[in-house]
Amino acid sequence: MIDILNNFFGGVASVMAVGPIAGIIAGVCVGIFFGAIPGISAIMAIAIILPLTFYVDPIIGITMLLAVYKAGIYGGSISAILINTPGAAASFLTAQDGHALTKAGKAGKALAMALYASVTGEALATLVLIFVAAPISVISLQAGPIEKVFLLIFAFTVVGSMTGESIPRGILSCCLGMLFAMVGMSSITGATRFTFGVPELMSGFTFLPLLIGVLVMPEVIDAIKNRKMPHHDLVLSKSANPDDNRVTWKEYRSVFGTLIKSTGIGTFIGALPGLGSSAAAFLAYGEAKRTSKNPEEFGKGSLKGIAAAESANNAVCGSSMIPMLTLSIPGDDVTALLMGAFLIHGITPGPTIFYEHTDVIYAIFAGFLITDLFLLIIARAGFGFWTKIASIQRYYIFPCVTVFAIAGAFTTNQDMYDVLILICFTVFGYGMRLVGLNPAAFIIGFILTPLLEQNLDQAIAIVGTDYSMIAASPFAWIFTALSAFSVYSAMRMKKKGKKKAAATQNASEQAA
Amino acid sequence: MKKFAQSLLGITAAIAVTLTAGPALAEYPEKPINVIVPWGAGGDSDLTTRLWADAMEGILGGPVVVINKAGGGGVIGTTFVANSAKDGYTLINAGLSNVLVTPNFSKTPYDFGSFEPVVKLSSVPLGILVPADSPYKTFDDLIAAAKAGKVTQGSWGAASSGTVLANIIADQAGYTVKFVHGNTTAESMVALIGGHIDSAVSFPPAFGPHVKSGRARLLVLNQKMDEYPNVPTFADYGIKGSFEGWSGVFAPKGTPADVIQKLVTASTQAMEDPKVRQAFANMGANVDFRHGDAWVKDMLETYDIMKDAAAKMKQ
Repeated sequence: MIDILNNFFGGVASVMAVGPIAGIIAGVCVGIFFGAIPGISAIMAIAIILPLTFYVDPIIGITMLLAVYKAGIYGGSISAILINTPGAAASFLTAQDGHALTKAGKAGKALAMALYASVTGEALATLVLIFVAAPISVISLQAGPIEKVFLLIFAFTVVGSMTGESIPRGILSCCLGMLFAMVGMSSITGATRFTFGVPELMSGFTFLPLLIGVLVMPEVIDAIKNRKMPHHDLVLSKSANPDDNRVTWKEYRSVFGTLIKSTGIGTFIGALPGLGSSAAAFLAYGEAKRTSKNPEEFGKGSLKGIAAAESANNAVCGSSMIPMLTLSIPGDDVTALLMGAFLIHGITPGPTIFYEHTDVIYAIFAGFLITDLFLLIIARAGFGFWTKIASIQRYYIFPCVTVFAIAGAFTTNQDMYDVLILICFTVFGYGMRLVGLNPAAFIIGFILTPLLEQNLDQAIAIVGTDYSMIAASPFAWIFTALSAFSVYSAMRMKKKGKKKAAATQNASEQAA
Repeated sequence: MKKFAQSLLGITAAIAVTLTAGPALAEYPEKPINVIVPWGAGGDSDLTTRLWADAMEGILGGPVVVINKAGGGGVIGTTFVANSAKDGYTLINAGLSNVLVTPNFSKTPYDFGSFEPVVKLSSVPLGILVPADSPYKTFDDLIAAAKAGKVTQGSWGAASSGTVLANIIADQAGYTVKFVHGNTTAESMVALIGGHIDSAVSFPPAFGPHVKSGRARLLVLNQKMDEYPNVPTFADYGIKGSFEGWSGVFAPKGTPADVIQKLVTASTQAMEDPKVRQAFANMGANVDFRHGDAWVKDMLETYDIMKDAAAKMKQ
């Protein structure tokens, strides 16, 4: 422990030079900027910057890349909150609650909550990375395909708390999402499914255009439908009360429990290779909603909702570095790129990295924490500008959203076919709203299905005919129990909600 | 202070490299060259392509942009380039799997003949690994166990180059395994060192760190490597054929010969750069720079082997 602290302070000293700090500041600015543009994700920003870092000192290069990553994830929440256009899967939950606050004139509060939650989640996960990386990595190895199948089944039960009024409609929406996720070539068997001979369908539906099409564009259509509305109704005025545009200490304290719990969930999921930040955000959000006293606020501007989603998805940034650094296992595409950066610099991630490159690795750790600090300062400085955007008249915003949506759909793979996906899913998403299907449950089904399918396939191959293996792991039992509990509490919540509604209705009838 | 000066120099150099797009030339390239990587960012062929592209920018004096077009097991990006303009401004990162294996195993809109090979950049020998605590100490142990019963083997997709090569090996040695497919070589290594599978096929960039840390044991390799002097080769077990993954750059068929020649000349210069070679070596990829007829002939031979293997596997 003393060794770690010594090394860490040595690292702080070496990262406190002009080069690394300039790299971090540049990285944070680039990250926020790219992240805030819908359609340009953190991974693209990193891929663009990567060649710049090939031949500079690894401390500068790698801290800069990580600054881009962290700031990019936060930046994604800016566009999600302000114009309801999530730049990445993980920020779509933030869009639900954050944009509701923006509509109520409280954009500043939503942005501040997202920032504080992001930084808290990241900083705590980074501390875990610095101090207990090795033991965690050993545990994460124990989770093989069989265990992950059970974990993902548990993640699916989150749909129960996301469905709103009707559970059957929520389940149907989720199943539709699963069905659409199956389109394309299975990377496991090589079989093509539901492609109807169209070669473009072989890679399935690209995620970002689908997400924007289902979640965002129907809003634009709605706005066009309501174009006869008086103009003053279309302007989002900034609330006059200054407390509505910041997060008070009391509010931060009231979500602190949620932050810690969600960070814990994010750190755990991040340490398991291959699950990613959106699964973490779903679980944290579902858990926060389940334990909340006011679950009905979720999705309608709940601070706890923002806190849960943002702290969990940012905690993944920190903890996905654990398997990468200690076991040289990249958990997702971003850590794969970062691992590439380490390798190109001649630093091979693995258990020996802490002895062989002590100076470099602890300087990079210190850089991670300092990045959080700069992210906090730089992002905070931008609030004035961002909230101004929120109060621009809506009829300027929606054309811009449409342009960004189409440009964003195109940039992901530089393919016109993705724009077609956007248009098709806009129609589909609008149709879903008309018949009361739940877009959030649809997206969850779409995101989790490929993960579940792949792990299930691997588990089946491993188990073979030895079926007892399925139930042999304690993980399996724990997550089965958690799933059952989650389903039960979703049903109970629904009943309670009905009773509450009935009670208020009775009361109002009696009053009349 | 020295560190400060160094780091400042580093950043300035980095910025300078990006800013100096160089004077516009009247000849090729007059505009940015796009290199499509049909895989996600961060894999080894993506990284080697980025290193190559970065060096090419300095030599050609114009931007060489790497674009990831992932999906469909590499088919999407590869098809895109096959149908692109034949002017040398759209190139593809091609390798064993997307131009030699996939066209034989799946219906693809392109074939090996849809491209003009430019250069081969790197190659990686295939190896078979077991977890460190595995009872199989040698490849013979593994063969015996696989002949006797159920041995699981990690690979990355039923029609992937790894599975095809593993099948050819298994066929010659007379054993069968049950494949457990991840998305990437890295994913199957996770399952291996976690003890969830019995063995895995993989390449040095993915297995190197695990063998080094003692979590995995390398039983057999395609060829002798300096890093693993005691590991036998497939040939030692009487298995014939070359089992290596490789990565290179191709252009659409019909690209003018002088453009190809210019790319080859520039690549030759790029791959002689010691910094580039060092970066390749750091990643665990051998610089295996080839171009011209002998190389194409070798590829055609491999193509035929894959064709036979596909016919056998489909039975």
